[in-house]
Amino acid sequence: MKLEVKNLRKSFSDTEVLHGISFTIESGKALGFLGRNGAGKTTTIRILMDLFSGNSGEILLNGKKFVPKEHQIGYLPEERGLYPKQKVLEQLVYFGQLRGLTSKEAKENALYWLKRLGVEEHKNKKLETLSKGNQQKVQLAETFICNPDIVVLDEPFSGLDPVNSQILKDIIRELIQQNKLLIFSSHQMGYIEEFCENIALINKGEIVLKGDLKEIKKEYGMNRLTLSDVNLSCNELKEIFDNKLGNIATVVDEKKDYLIIELMGQNTKQDLLKALIELNIDIEKFSTYQPTLEDIFVKKVGDAS
Amino acid sequence: MRNFLIVTKFEFLNLVKNKTAIIATVIICLLLSLGLSAPTIRDTFFSSSDEEIAMDQDQGAEHPPSSGRTYGFINKGGITNVDDLKQRFFAGELVAFNNQEELEEQIRSGEVEAGYIIESPTQYQHIVQNNELMGTNPFAFESALAEAYRISAFEDMGIEYSSVEGIISVHIEQQDTVVLGTDSASNYMYTYILVFGLYFLIIIYGQIIATSVASEKSNRAMEVLITSTDSTHLIFGKVIAGALAGICQFGLVILTGITAYNLNAAAWDNSLDFVFKIPGSTLLSFSAFGILGYLFYLFIFGALGALVSRTEDVNTSSTPITLIFVAVFIVSMTGMQNTEGMVLKIASFVPFSSFMAMFVRVSMGTVSTLEVIASLSILAITTALIGYLASKIYRMGTLMYGNPVKLRTVLKLSKGKSLSR
Repeated sequence: MKLEVKNLRKSFSDTEVLHGISFTIESGKALGFLGRNGAGKTTTIRILMDLFSGNSGEILLNGKKFVPKEHQIGYLPEERGLYPKQKVLEQLVYFGQLRGLTSKEAKENALYWLKRLGVEEHKNKKLETLSKGNQQKVQLAETFICNPDIVVLDEPFSGLDPVNSQILKDIIRELIQQNKLLIFSSHQMGYIEEFCENIALINKGEIVLKGDLKEIKKEYGMNRLTLSDVNLSCNELKEIFDNKLGNIATVVDEKKDYLIIELMGQNTKQDLLKALIELNIDIEKFSTYQPTLEDIFVKKVGDAS
Repeated sequence: MRNFLIVTKFEFLNLVKNKTAIIATVIICLLLSLGLSAPTIRDTFFSSSDEEIAMDQDQGAEHPPSSGRTYGFINKGGITNVDDLKQRFFAGELVAFNNQEELEEQIRSGEVEAGYIIESPTQYQHIVQNNELMGTNPFAFESALAEAYRISAFEDMGIEYSSVEGIISVHIEQQDTVVLGTDSASNYMYTYILVFGLYFLIIIYGQIIATSVASEKSNRAMEVLITSTDSTHLIFGKVIAGALAGICQFGLVILTGITAYNLNAAAWDNSLDFVFKIPGSTLLSFSAFGILGYLFYLFIFGALGALVSRTEDVNTSSTPITLIFVAVFIVSMTGMQNTEGMVLKIASFVPFSSFMAMFVRVSMGTVSTLEVIASLSILAITTALIGYLASKIYRMGTLMYGNPVKLRTVLKLSKGKSLSR
């Protein structure tokens, strides 16, 4: 399956909040949908889920107009919500039935997911009596109950402790392996890096960066290296660059134990290495720089700001 | 349709499994059963022996039961047959006083209930500590004084009062009334009960539906629901479930009442037939108008619940419609006194009030079949339109969080292309 969002625009009153955003998601390749608060992530997801319509643009699934109600979609909204005064199993069966399952199937699936998420013993309790983390797990069970082909997770890890996060990570990996189409929205970049092959970074209603995460990292790491010395501190090493190596490379960032440097002009890694040896630098670390998604996010969103 | 049934079932079970509703229904049914069985229980467990009854009856003829209260009087007007006055005063014991101060003192201390100063055989003054709206003392005394006057007057004319008493106090017995049109007098009580029941049903279940929608919005279950099924299924399911639960509850109470009465009708000497013997045609018109009107208001309450984000705001949001509804109720209840009144006639065609007003007219007045069909059709069409509109408002309102949304804003938005899909 291939889901394409094309030139989507949305206005509330007279304010346009989405300025023609486009991105693509394919089955088996999770999309990390990133953005600051108020960037337009939830609005995009709500349009995708047909909670409201965009002013213009189109959403296509395999080249045809995407109608959410014609597909099994597991949707975990940002604003979690189930019935607090209802028993866990009863409401899961209800939601399962609303998504086309028979009562029996809904019950079986609900029990499976409750067991899988470790909250089976709470099946006959009212939701409001459960801890926040367990309520979050019930909400996840609701999301997966219909064995969805398309999964939209908005901040799925919020409220989960490390043990439960690991359970969810395993489930997400499984969904990807099962070739599901998965959209993953989160502020926690670590999780995006862990699961998503593709990302779409939205800022102020515009997609400012999208594509294959590895390629993006490679691109952002291009001409950049990390360097540290056995004897010199990062500050001392930076002074050497400023005074003696300015024509070959420049320091772009200073971390606790190493510097991030960028090659100037046509200079290569070999040129820099040669110059460092000539200056008797006792190299401790010399490698190609791999930016984190957080670095890319901060840089892109910072640039746009 | 499938999802509509699933929503209806879920919501219906939630309502009927509600402990408060179960307890309230059980208590009402129990009280009704006990109340209607009271004469049977009394006859079975607390009845006196035949001799005692006969003796009581004999004594009653000579000495009517007294309340044990004491009343005072001063004979200023100089009536001659004080004994007759005392004998004919059945509200309690009538004690003579010599002066007003003493009588007033006794009234203030509570020893004496009230006092009467006889100014002349046909004039008296009433003295009482607190003048109560429902107090009957002056009437009891007035009756006794009138009888004493009659006795004295007849004696003056040389006629023995006992020989004419039967003529003066003749008991006229009315045979059954032959009603050619609608018997409003007989229909009054059950019409009153049914209208009153419908009033409470709409007020209670209207609030339940509005609160239920608002709570789905406040606990954010709405977003999951709307992505799981059509909003029309949700609002229609919710409203129909509320309507069914209300009908079941009201029906159970009515059924309990009718059954309990039928089982105890003999003990009541069929004296409550005018309440419980509801004609089938009345029940049919009540069902048709009542159910449509009930749905009409439930849709409105459901839509209003979608306009607020917190359950605390439901009352504020539903106040205008509640006021309209109360006005409709007052018009209908007032109309029961005169079913040919113009206000009731107009109200019987306005969808907001027709379900109640037309039912009152059908039950207690004379209405042509054409009028009934016209009113029912207007109500049915309007209810369907309100249902459609409610689903639109529900769809729009449920995703608007924050301050209560104005109805006008939602309607405006629901028309807008940008938000419609």
